[in-house]
Amino acid sequence: MASPGGQGGGALSTRGGGGAKRMKWALELSLGNTRSRGDRQGGQGDVVYPIGYSEKPVPDTSIQETDKNLVEKRCWDVALGPLKQIPMNLFIMYMSGNTISIFPIMMVCMMAWRPIQALMSMSATFKLLESSSQQWLQGLVYLIGNLLGSALAIYKCQSMGLLPTHSSDWLAFIDPPQRMEIMGGGMVL
Amino acid sequence: MAKLILQWLKFVVLCGTVGAVFEDQVGKFDWRQQYVGKVRFAHFDTHVQSSKKVVVATEKNVFAALNTRTGELFWRHVDKTGSEGNIDALLLQGADAVLVVGNGRLLRSWEVNIGGLNWEILLDSGSFQSACLVGQQDNVKYVAVLKKTVISLHYLSNGHQKWIENLPDSETVDYQAVYSGGNGEVYVLGVVPHSHIAVVVYSVDDGEILKQFSVEAAWLSNIQTSCAVVGKGMLTCVDSTTLSLYMLDLHTQLQMTQLPLQTLGLEVDPGFHPTLVSTQPNAARQPLSEFFLQLGPEHYVLLQLNNGQIVTLRDFKPAMLVSFATTGEKTVAAVMSPKNKTACGLNLFSADTGRRLLDTTLIFNMDPYGGKPETLYVQAFLKKDDSVGYRAIVQTEDHTLTFLQQPGRVMWTREEALSDVVTMEMVDLPLTGTQAELEGEFGKKADGLMSMVLKRLSSQFILLQAWVSHLWKLFYDARKPRSQVKNDVTIENLSRDEFNLQKMMVMVTAIRKPVNCRLHSFCFSSFKLFGIDSKTGTIVWKHYLDNIPSNAAFKLMVQRTTAHFPHPPQCTLLIKDKDTGLATLHVFNPIFGKKSHITPPALPQPILQSLLLPLMDQDYAKVLLLVDDQYKVSAFPSTKNVLQQLQEMASSIFFYLVDSSQGRLSGYRLRTDLSTELIWEVVIPPEIQRIVSVKGKRPNEHVHSQGRVMGDRSVLYKYLNPNLLAIVTESTDSHQERSFVGILLIDGVTGRIIHEAVQRKTKGPVHVVHSENWVVYEYWSTKSRRNEFSVIELYEGMELYNSTVFSSLDRPHAPQVLQQSYIFPSAISTLEATLTEKGITSRHLLIGLPSGGILSLPKMFLDPRRPEIVTEQSREENLIPYAPELPIRTEWYINYNQTISRVRGIYTAPSGLESTCLVVAYGLDIYQTRVYPSKQFDVLKDDYDYMLISSVLFALFFATMISKRLAEVKLLNRAWR
Repeated sequence: MASPGGQGGGALSTRGGGGAKRMKWALELSLGNTRSRGDRQGGQGDVVYPIGYSEKPVPDTSIQETDKNLVEKRCWDVALGPLKQIPMNLFIMYMSGNTISIFPIMMVCMMAWRPIQALMSMSATFKLLESSSQQWLQGLVYLIGNLLGSALAIYKCQSMGLLPTHSSDWLAFIDPPQRMEIMGGGMVL
Repeated sequence: MAKLILQWLKFVVLCGTVGAVFEDQVGKFDWRQQYVGKVRFAHFDTHVQSSKKVVVATEKNVFAALNTRTGELFWRHVDKTGSEGNIDALLLQGADAVLVVGNGRLLRSWEVNIGGLNWEILLDSGSFQSACLVGQQDNVKYVAVLKKTVISLHYLSNGHQKWIENLPDSETVDYQAVYSGGNGEVYVLGVVPHSHIAVVVYSVDDGEILKQFSVEAAWLSNIQTSCAVVGKGMLTCVDSTTLSLYMLDLHTQLQMTQLPLQTLGLEVDPGFHPTLVSTQPNAARQPLSEFFLQLGPEHYVLLQLNNGQIVTLRDFKPAMLVSFATTGEKTVAAVMSPKNKTACGLNLFSADTGRRLLDTTLIFNMDPYGGKPETLYVQAFLKKDDSVGYRAIVQTEDHTLTFLQQPGRVMWTREEALSDVVTMEMVDLPLTGTQAELEGEFGKKADGLMSMVLKRLSSQFILLQAWVSHLWKLFYDARKPRSQVKNDVTIENLSRDEFNLQKMMVMVTAIRKPVNCRLHSFCFSSFKLFGIDSKTGTIVWKHYLDNIPSNAAFKLMVQRTTAHFPHPPQCTLLIKDKDTGLATLHVFNPIFGKKSHITPPALPQPILQSLLLPLMDQDYAKVLLLVDDQYKVSAFPSTKNVLQQLQEMASSIFFYLVDSSQGRLSGYRLRTDLSTELIWEVVIPPEIQRIVSVKGKRPNEHVHSQGRVMGDRSVLYKYLNPNLLAIVTESTDSHQERSFVGILLIDGVTGRIIHEAVQRKTKGPVHVVHSENWVVYEYWSTKSRRNEFSVIELYEGMELYNSTVFSSLDRPHAPQVLQQSYIFPSAISTLEATLTEKGITSRHLLIGLPSGGILSLPKMFLDPRRPEIVTEQSREENLIPYAPELPIRTEWYINYNQTISRVRGIYTAPSGLESTCLVVAYGLDIYQTRVYPSKQFDVLKDDYDYMLISSVLFALFFATMISKRLAEVKLLNRAWR
């Protein structure tokens, strides 16, 4: 297959066969040879572009360092992320119910683990938020969001009965009371 | 709602614990030993040459056939206990055994080969006197039964009555014996004490009185003990006052001829009542004319009646036992004579001549810990060379049956005393020598680092050696055929197993002697101690103790367990004479049965009760306190150390005494000078109700959980008072409208009555179990005529008053009491609860049923919190909805089809495994098994698939290795590309 010779005016072509001369690639610099003229897409007649010229416009990718608003917005997005998850978590909680089986447990574990993970990588998040002017506020919001998330997980555990909050949960650890008196006897033999 | 309950019930049924065994587990963890009791009548079955049976009827009302090769039972029939099933006579004719049962109530005929009943007929009322087989022309066709006023003749083939005749003058004459010589006549012999003998002769054919005469015999009072028919119808009697033989020819009915023993050159031991031993080999013929006369405890004479003349054939002195045996036409006399202290010699003598037969000596080695020979049963047989060979069964005083073969080989022994177990304990086996060595290493005082290291190395080396020798033995045994590998249990190879499942059962058996015994439930004249290996049922040791007061009470205690190497374990048996109140202590080693070298203290004062304290002396023996009738206390062992400890502890040692005759319960406190002080007393008026039983808690019981979890996840704490006593009373009024059963829960330290309940219109016998915080008891409801269970549970409430210590003296709040009753569809014989090491496993009740089953009923069914209306919370709590009837499921029988006759007691002991409880049921039989109330949660199952698991593991391991290698190769290839 003959490929269009790239963006440059030189046509790169690979030939599968046919020609007497086999070559891997060739750069055609002579104008006379218009062997590949038909291949040119949108080629305007005989206009030959210089090497490296592209007809398509190249998007402007330079960072606009001056656009503070955008940075702020992005940072707020990060900070509010955990809070936004709470309604979703609530819904999952409601759906999974209070029975103890593998799926609700997995859900609860995930719900509990994610905020904890986030709290552990707090410093990394702070680095992200470094560029923002409201860094501390955003950090606080992020923290609160995660704490709320874990509180929700704990609440779920509580409603599922996984927390040792009742006296019955500590029953197995009560030692038998020590006997103060020694007593014995029976029917007169 | 009903559907819900149904669902719930289904769940409970499906998830409820099931104790049944699988078919291939039968006999794996359990064993049963069947006994018959003390033999009263025994006959060798001789109607077939190759027969190897001996038919026995025993004092336990058991009729059985024993295999003479092995001593095992061919079959056994257990009749009612008491006089109703009492076997009065056993007559063996051919393959039929005729029994008179229940003081002449029934006449039964059994087929000996398979033990099937041929026929049974009800006899007319009247006190049984005697029975004999009646034959005519060498053909035994009838059996004659003599009662106080009547004689009847029955066909042997179908039991039908041929004739029945009233005896003449039965008001004055005491008819005692019946005799038939095979000539178509039946002789009934009666006596008017100190006056004359009355003889009535009946015709066999129609019961017509052929002759009737009386002969003067002023000296005679009892025919059965002093007379015998010898030879051609010669009634021979011996009189101990005139020391002479009297003879009366029953055919010619002349005067009685007196023959003083001195004229025969015989002398009776002073104070001895001489007796006669005769034999009638064939009921259709006359008895032999040879007979034994016993002149002293160890003196017999073989006499012959020859044309009215008495001839002395041979004098046997010393001779302990004699017996006749017949084979074919030959009759021989077997005489047992003492040889030395530990052995007896048994010899055969020709009955006709009194000559000793050659090569017939048999040595009977007496067990030094056994009793003296009491009865001798001999089976004679003709050898190929026409000489007489014989086998013998010797019954000794301790109810041991020993089967002997020439020249003294003991084929088997049966310890029939084990049919009468009074009390038992289970003791841990000791560690093996090497294990003990290791244990001992840490017990000793440290003496330098280097020597400790050396010691450690040496003991490790010993362990290694033991292990290698064990492996070698395994390898060596594996090559031998399986039948040759013996698994004999001896004292040497007894050692504790990994999980402490094998223990030593120490059993105390009572040996009743009917003579001089009053009508009392505790009437023993001697006892025998047994040590039985719980795994196999092998008797490891036995110890017979004679000269015990005839009316004794026993209490067996384990003073030192095997845990204190090198001190030997120690058991103490308290034997109290109920008549004098004096007690003795028998201290022994429960593993070897040897009497301990420790001399027990002499107890000059009558003893009321004993008390085993958890205190130990410096040798780790628990202290036994003995309370005498002055309420003074003596300690055993009573070293200085012990007395000092007692002084320190005195203020916290209490004991209680229950006097059921006066209805008095009293509590005492120990003072430092070992005197006591009465601190409380409760009197239950004995004219209204009497105290039947008192149950405290078992001292080795542990309760793991201090409370119960409610549906709302709060805790209801148990009232675990270790000093609580359950006292059961029964009303003295037995009228069914007014009788009642009362239960009293009382604190043994303070005397405080915790709870009292009365069940009206009920009566005993009451079976009661007291454990943890509950009491379960069973009684008969006369109103509804059924057996009922009642359960009482005690709770402290939602809060613990004091969670660290329990003191009865500081308990301001009364516990909450819950009670429920249930209907049980069967009567019960005994009741016990399972017991485990730590008390984590749920409890079951073991119920011995009269049918011979042992039922393991989950305690869950006897729970007073079972709700009538099911709620969310009760379901959360796993409570079964209340239903008045308790079910009996067949899979709850822990002994499946191994019936245990007349269960009297069940003993439970914890094993080293929390899930497992060892159970021993005893009665006529002994049965040992293990139960798992919560299934075997701590052990892999028997059929656990080790192969599958290990092969899967290996497969996964190799798969991981291979895939790892493959992954490496692939990575490498990719890197090259």
